[in-house]
Amino acid sequence: RTDMEETEFDDILDDWFIESLKTYKDLHVYQLEHPTQVIEWTSGKTVCVAGFTSSKNEILELRLPLKLFADENKGLCAERDFKVVHGGFTDAPVRFSNCLNLQVWDLGGDDSDVIRRTGSVDGSRGVSEGGSRIAARLSSQPQVLHGAESAGVRLTQLTSGQTVYTLETDSADPLSSLHFVSDAVFLAGCSNGKVYIADTRTSAAPQLSPPPPSSGESVLWWTDASAGPSCLDPSSCRIVRLSSCGQTVISDLRNPGGAVSRAQLDVQTRRCNADDVRVSWAPALDDCIAVSGFSGAVQIYSSSVWTTELQEAQPLFEHRGHAVSSQSDDGVPVFVTSHVWHPERPRTLLSAASDGSVHVWDWVDQSAAGC
Amino acid sequence: RSCILVSIGGKNIMLDCGMHMGYNDDRRFPDFSYITQNGRLTDFLDCVIISHFHLDHCGALPFMSEMVGYDGPIYMTHPTKAICPILLEDFRKITVDKKGETNFFTSQMIKDCMKKVVPLNLHQTVQVDDELEIKAYYAGHVLGAAMVHIKVGSESVVYTGDYNMTPDRHLGAAWIDKCRPDILISESTYATTIRDSKRCRERDFLKKVHESIERGGKVLIPVFALGRAQELCILLETFWERMNLKAPIYFSTGLTEKANHYYKLFITWTNQKIRKTFVQRNMFEFKHIKAFDRSYADNPGPMVVFATPGMLHAGQSLQIFKKWAGNEKNMVIMPGYCVQGTIGHKILNGQRKLEMEGRSTLDVKLQVEYMSFSAHADAKGIMQLIRMAEPRNMLLVHGEAVKMEFLKGKIEQEFSIDCYMPANGETVTVTTNPSVPVDISLNLLKREMALGGPLPDPKKPRTMHGTLIMKENSLKLVSSEQALKELGLNEHQLRFTCRVQLQDPHSDTDTLHRIYTHLKSVLKGYTIQHLPDGTVMVESIVIKVSSSTEDPNTKVLLLSWSYQFGSDLYCLKRGFFF
Repeated sequence: RTDMEETEFDDILDDWFIESLKTYKDLHVYQLEHPTQVIEWTSGKTVCVAGFTSSKNEILELRLPLKLFADENKGLCAERDFKVVHGGFTDAPVRFSNCLNLQVWDLGGDDSDVIRRTGSVDGSRGVSEGGSRIAARLSSQPQVLHGAESAGVRLTQLTSGQTVYTLETDSADPLSSLHFVSDAVFLAGCSNGKVYIADTRTSAAPQLSPPPPSSGESVLWWTDASAGPSCLDPSSCRIVRLSSCGQTVISDLRNPGGAVSRAQLDVQTRRCNADDVRVSWAPALDDCIAVSGFSGAVQIYSSSVWTTELQEAQPLFEHRGHAVSSQSDDGVPVFVTSHVWHPERPRTLLSAASDGSVHVWDWVDQSAAGC
Repeated sequence: RSCILVSIGGKNIMLDCGMHMGYNDDRRFPDFSYITQNGRLTDFLDCVIISHFHLDHCGALPFMSEMVGYDGPIYMTHPTKAICPILLEDFRKITVDKKGETNFFTSQMIKDCMKKVVPLNLHQTVQVDDELEIKAYYAGHVLGAAMVHIKVGSESVVYTGDYNMTPDRHLGAAWIDKCRPDILISESTYATTIRDSKRCRERDFLKKVHESIERGGKVLIPVFALGRAQELCILLETFWERMNLKAPIYFSTGLTEKANHYYKLFITWTNQKIRKTFVQRNMFEFKHIKAFDRSYADNPGPMVVFATPGMLHAGQSLQIFKKWAGNEKNMVIMPGYCVQGTIGHKILNGQRKLEMEGRSTLDVKLQVEYMSFSAHADAKGIMQLIRMAEPRNMLLVHGEAVKMEFLKGKIEQEFSIDCYMPANGETVTVTTNPSVPVDISLNLLKREMALGGPLPDPKKPRTMHGTLIMKENSLKLVSSEQALKELGLNEHQLRFTCRVQLQDPHSDTDTLHRIYTHLKSVLKGYTIQHLPDGTVMVESIVIKVSSSTEDPNTKVLLLSWSYQFGSDLYCLKRGFFF
């Protein structure tokens, strides 16, 4: 890198940071030693991240900077750093939704900061290329839903290893995600666009929502379901499906076959790694969806303005921090590997990218309407 | 507080001599009784090395050298030597004048202490004595901060002090060569954090300043003359330029002169960018930043002022603070740590009513912001430094042991080295495996070669015989004869004798002959001779036979051998057992 290139890069970065003064309320930029595809909340203030190389990987439990939460005395709190609360090692790549053998980890208490593996659940039944997906049950009992294909999704009790429920479907479709929408009801989102809705309390056949129309053969789909307190009444539960060409369909859980609204998102599909794409509902905002994995940006959309007609949608906000601050030496552009919403703070997200960066950001909603 | 004692190759070195800022009593000083229970430290220490001018690394130095007593050399870099006394004097003033402490060092003591300082240049090896040498490396962190390489014979230690691995706007990043020390001692206060980027901190700073200015407020930034002030000025200048802002920015004149003076002196300690700009213009010649006059503080409208001293304990920054504190539109940004007893410390602890001189109270209505700009190495930085230096053992100080098991495991795994984490007052002993270089005489080599056999191989060492001579700080391996010659000694031969009794009615000569024939048949491959003087020789062991005076049937065998030939003795034993 020449001095000239270095200065140019610095200038662009400076510009983005100066612009961010207006567009973000809070912004934190971190660099992990190794990139992660996983960001999972372990409490209201801590997340877990882990490496995904084929050899040894680190698992870290990070506590978010105190300054983010110090609402009243924010000025007097200088702490802006992630605190590594616990750390551990694993030999396999960790993709929370993609491990062949589910490993159970104990995060350790206060007397040690080491994460140790305490057990494993055999999740490799009918393994497809993608591996198993998992979802943790919302209730207090430690149970995990896992599977690689729609036929064979199981709910396993972690302590006993016992299977409590098995999903039975006519075809074995590779899964892209599993979600609990209530204590007993879950969704199995398939990569071909099908969504199965099942109730673990009954042995009745699951409901099937067929893939949205105009779905080509090599098109992949990702799903998210809005869950949480608002979903005690299933009528307020919605499913969003996103395709690899950017087509997005929102359905109602009461009528999973239909579509409440649609949109065509500009996802610039030059390339996309199926493992990296994430679509998620904002837990504390109405109708807000975040999309990442197609590029070095995380996009936020407000679906409240979408209609049943397929039209192009513009993002409400775009976090380009990873793309702007990445210094990729080999010419490979950086892309976002994961994002999560904060469970309570309406506009706070965490995102991770292929260069090892992790950002914590609280965006400003500049539009009059919307989220 | 940082204060580490290292014993290496018979030398005792003190690394840093810091003050603990949280205590008011003697606990703030390091406990020198670890060195000696009574009296001066001069005889017990070969040298003292100070890494940088922060008080938690040098605050107790005058106390140690003048009140406890130490007259040996104190090593530190040139900038540290220039800046230390200023900070120490400020600190002394606050502690003694403001807080009325008595057991504390005086101004004269600071001066006397500094007279003992020997300044260091980067990458220059300094011989403390004919066995101990030290070398300073760039540490980043603050102006003049150094990491130190200490070497005695073939053993070495590197102490990092505080350092950082990412360059900032005015300092470069720490750097060290692959010196492979036996121990690398690193600060680990931030070992369990992942630091937010520099730009985000700066963004926060700019945001605060901007918000205040936008609502017409005044921003006071108390600074110490060096380091942060420079960096923040560059930052604001860039921001003002880009955003086309008009509000005035000032810095107090005392600040300019001092800062310029030091930067001129220590330009090689700043980073590349600064050095380039400095060539073109004066350090503090900014387009948007002007010299401050005390009357400006009363001007209406928004402004930003950089003023000394940094902890609001006296002088111009305090005067301005008093004027601006009552308006909630205004802001004070504290960019660093404040010593207990200062106004800075009080407001950072949330105090909103301050007692001033003359029993008047000051209502603090302005916004108080604490921003940490200090550059420290986090977990990633520590790993990077280990990769650079390739130490054989790792020592992490000032971290919380319970919270660092993961990092310790990580270091041990990735580098296959031991990682220690001693608590205050704990001693760690590290076994090293130093290579000792020895010269070998040519004659000895030739002789060994003449013995034949396979050539020596690092994987298959061969035993050799010689004498090790230590002369004039070098080690030589020579033949025994040469050694004796050099020492002017005669070689003595030891011969051992042993008497064995046998019952044998034959004559002495016959018995001897029988022994001879027997040995010859049993010990094949050995040289056995029957000599005309009436002895049998097995290799070099001599056997004589004589009769006991009391009983002619009792024969006494006299065996005699010299010290070296143990193997011959063994074979003889074998012979006799047959």
